[in-house]
Amino acid sequence: MIDFHTHPLLVREMWEKHPDLRRITREIFFLNSAPQPLEVFLRELHVAGLERAVLLPIDVSTTKGCQIYSNAQIAELCQMSDRFVGFASVDPHREDAANELEHAIKHLGLRGLKLVPPSQEFYPNDQKLAYPIYERAQNLGVPIVFHAGMSWEPHAKAKYGSPMHLEDVACDFPGLNIVIAHLGWPWVEEAVMLAIKYPNVYLDTAALYFDNPWEFLTFVMTKRLPLTLFERSLRHKLIFGSNYPRAEIRSMAKAIRELGLCADCLELVFAGNAERILGGRGREPLKQAVDSGTLRNGNR
Amino acid sequence: MKIKLEMVELQTQKGMELIDITQEVERVVTESGVRDGIVNIMSKHTSTGIIVTEGIWCVEQDILDHLEKLAPEKGDYHHNRPLDFAGRLGFNAHAHLKSVLTGYTAFFPIQQGQLILGGAQRIYFAEYDGPLSRTYCVQVLGE
Repeated sequence: MIDFHTHPLLVREMWEKHPDLRRITREIFFLNSAPQPLEVFLRELHVAGLERAVLLPIDVSTTKGCQIYSNAQIAELCQMSDRFVGFASVDPHREDAANELEHAIKHLGLRGLKLVPPSQEFYPNDQKLAYPIYERAQNLGVPIVFHAGMSWEPHAKAKYGSPMHLEDVACDFPGLNIVIAHLGWPWVEEAVMLAIKYPNVYLDTAALYFDNPWEFLTFVMTKRLPLTLFERSLRHKLIFGSNYPRAEIRSMAKAIRELGLCADCLELVFAGNAERILGGRGREPLKQAVDSGTLRNGNR
Repeated sequence: MKIKLEMVELQTQKGMELIDITQEVERVVTESGVRDGIVNIMSKHTSTGIIVTEGIWCVEQDILDHLEKLAPEKGDYHHNRPLDFAGRLGFNAHAHLKSVLTGYTAFFPIQQGQLILGGAQRIYFAEYDGPLSRTYCVQVLGE
């Protein structure tokens, strides 16, 4: 069981080692919660009934002059607990971005890539800027989590976050697994459309923009769209993510568990789908994976 | 008059729980050297409490269950909204309400270097929004 979308920004031990993380967390990521010992992160996972968490950095070197956790810092944190799966981030404006990604995967042991177009200020279908990165990720067999939809960070404009920019990427890189984060809110239907159509497009559930986790996710996943859509058409495409620490892992996990999805579907959402795209079968077509039984509880 | 203030940090383990801190308070009183005076205990948070009650598991559980009835986690709260100063939503109104219901302080007299406690009384730190690292202060005043 895994949380596929966390930002380890409030880990006190890392603030003590890297004092600039405090300013970056406050001013760049715009999160004003108090730092907590690493143990709190692990306890959050435990209370939520999860074993592991994907740690996501954001490289905003060009637009903000810093990294919201560097790849090396993510690797450092992964050394502190075997329950963490580290992802890299690279700055698409830098010419060495693809090489940076390869270094992070091959030498730092990171397992995927996080890109945040609104903060990094690029359109995901910018061929000149971003396609070399996608090509390298595809060759390395690692997934990319794209922030999509609204961003809380100051000056991060939603125009870069429309899921529709990802259709070109999904189409042009069929061997690249793409995770549309935050259900793409407010463009949930567009994000769902891409996940239905393209075998290499997934959605994560790290979405909370009003009310509370239960009310928000119930509205989006059972009222705005029918729950049957997720149950029947997207059970192999939906991945649990909390967006911790903007929301508590336990609250987001509880909200997803209480939507009314069947047990098999929940197993896929909390484990099977993430394992599949992390497990080195990144380019295996979905149907083939289902047929071969490599999807856990992959009911068809 | 002596005044000793100690900040005590503790790691809570669950969303809601009661943690018996009586021995910790007694330790601070003993180390202060105060023979006659008072001790104040205060939580530094707005989603926790300080409770004094009987130290048996059934009473602890009844308190937590009753607080959940009075201020349920899934209640209809104005606080369920984006907080423009925090960078996140504030969906823990239930924890703030439980904190208000139980209070955030307690005090006890000290006589001959000993805390005066009733036979059934225990002092608890109450977590309503855990797991988190929390801090409470114990201040001893006296001669």
